[in-house]
Amino acid sequence: MTATLTTGQPGPALAHDAAATLAASRPGLARRVKNRIATAAVVGAVALTAVPLALVIWAAVERGSARLDLTLFSHSMRGVVGQGGGLLHALTGTLLITAATAVIAIPLGISAAIYLTEYAGRARLASLTRRAVDIMVSIPSIVAGLAAYALFSLLFGPGTRSGLAGAAALAMIMIPVVVRSSEEVLRLVPGDLREAGLALGSPRWRVIRKIVLPTALPGLTAGAVLGVARIIGETAPLLLVAGFTDAMNYNLAEGRMATLPVFIYTQWSAKGLDTAAYDQRAWAGALVLMAVVVVLQLAARALPPQIAKIRRNR
Amino acid sequence: MKLGTSKRAVAAAAATGVIWAALAGCAANEEQPSGEITPNSSGPAQAQLQGELNGAGASSQSAAQEAWRAGFVALQNGVTVNYDPVGSGDGRKQFTAGGIGFVGTDAPFSVEDAGGGHGSCAADSSLVEVPVYISPIAVAFNLEGIDSLNLAPNVIADIFTGKIANWNDAAIAADNPGVELPDLKISPVHRSDVSGTTGNFTDYLAATAPEAWTAGETEEWPQAGGEGAEKTQGMVQALTAGKGSIGYVDAGQARDLGWAAIKVGDEWAKPTAEGAAKAVAVSSLESGRGEGDVVYELNRATDAAGAYPLILVSYLAACEKYEDANTAELVSAYLKYVTSDEGQQAAAANAGSAPLTADAELSAKVSAAVERIGS
Repeated sequence: MTATLTTGQPGPALAHDAAATLAASRPGLARRVKNRIATAAVVGAVALTAVPLALVIWAAVERGSARLDLTLFSHSMRGVVGQGGGLLHALTGTLLITAATAVIAIPLGISAAIYLTEYAGRARLASLTRRAVDIMVSIPSIVAGLAAYALFSLLFGPGTRSGLAGAAALAMIMIPVVVRSSEEVLRLVPGDLREAGLALGSPRWRVIRKIVLPTALPGLTAGAVLGVARIIGETAPLLLVAGFTDAMNYNLAEGRMATLPVFIYTQWSAKGLDTAAYDQRAWAGALVLMAVVVVLQLAARALPPQIAKIRRNR
Repeated sequence: MKLGTSKRAVAAAAATGVIWAALAGCAANEEQPSGEITPNSSGPAQAQLQGELNGAGASSQSAAQEAWRAGFVALQNGVTVNYDPVGSGDGRKQFTAGGIGFVGTDAPFSVEDAGGGHGSCAADSSLVEVPVYISPIAVAFNLEGIDSLNLAPNVIADIFTGKIANWNDAAIAADNPGVELPDLKISPVHRSDVSGTTGNFTDYLAATAPEAWTAGETEEWPQAGGEGAEKTQGMVQALTAGKGSIGYVDAGQARDLGWAAIKVGDEWAKPTAEGAAKAVAVSSLESGRGEGDVVYELNRATDAAGAYPLILVSYLAACEKYEDANTAELVSAYLKYVTSDEGQQAAAANAGSAPLTADAELSAKVSAAVERIGS
């Protein structure tokens, strides 16, 4: 009782006459008031973090929906001045470059994670790799772009820009994300499973291939998709190494390739007299990019249970 | 059982393939007309070229470049032209490093640099530089209910150096009888990046108000204080958002703001394409440059009636000789289009610039310069 009284002492801000009598008659009230306040504060904080998100979505929908028509998805910007035109070339470029990045980064990232969890043990190379991954995570994306730019300029002549160079830059950003998430997931695979496999006489590579990877597959998939979502909105490195063009380009190895974030940037930064047309295209592009990212995030959630289900059924 | 997984995988791959095919269908506006190529409506039929032509440089040209690209690819179906609006300085650097076909620049190459040694060109090639884009720079401001003010050069200089700090200052009021100026702090906005617009603005102030503006001509803003804004769009945004702000911006980009009329001789001139063309007409070409190097020495302090000397003249620079014959043909054809009447009108329609083809003498010089491009 004394404890309740001391901890439940009403603050000076309360009308202390009434509060004091109430607190005396119902010992839990002060605690409940505190509880309410804390709950309100937490809910408020959540709402506050959701506000910017809601504002961004609202702004993109409000300003971008004006141009969310068929032309947007069936036209490129080649030969377009002012009104009209579309972002098919940028959407295609984003999908191609992202796919190329995934093809580079996912096998490399998962391989590195397998090395770290299955083979490395306490090897010095392992801690070196982990440190390298940590550093790579914090590399600003523009630096990755510069590195790719320098590399491709060195290999294919100065000023070389191509979709592949863009993919190389993005892979530098994506690999550490994949390594980290894959390592976590592979660590979760119980050691008993590995030991059981080894005890049956399987070589280590077969244990990894048949037991560890299938068990971790849902998590690995989720990590890969999150890695893709991380790089799909990157602008700076692509502006530098993939360049920009008005026209369709399906060839990753040659020629500049437009991407959605760069499309948004160029529409905003280089406007003609009819500025509304450019703004609308930029916002519509932002809306499409957001939709692509949301679809990917949903896929990251939906895929692992699906994969698990398939595995259970066989 | 194993089969189940792979079947699903195949199905998923197939579905992805279908979506991909739908998405990757060639853009509707890029479908090549089957059969013969659409003949060129005006002038003699040009040879149809193939390939990709890359340029980079001044962001001031980007709207004009968009119009030129569109017009040019309509004539040349097989060509893709790209232009990176990275800024004049970066554009010139890229051109010297190599890898681009032409560069758009607000400030011409210096006489020494125009001689040669550019990675994009053949080893012994000198430069071809021609003016392609002339646009008035507006001194734009954001004051409620006022869309025009008379500002003399020394008043503009005093505002941007901070000597005049309030809109109801006597110096402003003296030139604007009948305008009710608010009691409001002036917030001058300048470009924070290295900018051709800043270069032309400071050049104008240095020529017309040398006592009030002592910093001379510089592409990097020389004053401390004031608000900085990145690129043309940043400037427009800062001006639109800030009540009582004033800045300088390509007139085509600042339609919704108030424009100052500047003092030319004894008259007040507002930024117009005609005024810009007039100002160019009263200027002379810089001497001591090669035949392919057509560069203006602008007469900012002119008092010719109807001229608007606060202008931006932007150039296209290319090589006289290219290593690659196809690049040479592409650059030559593109520059011919850009400097043609059709190209200049297209830029005027999309960017609000002044067509350069009004002056027959200049047109002849420009054509002769462009003719020099080859391999």
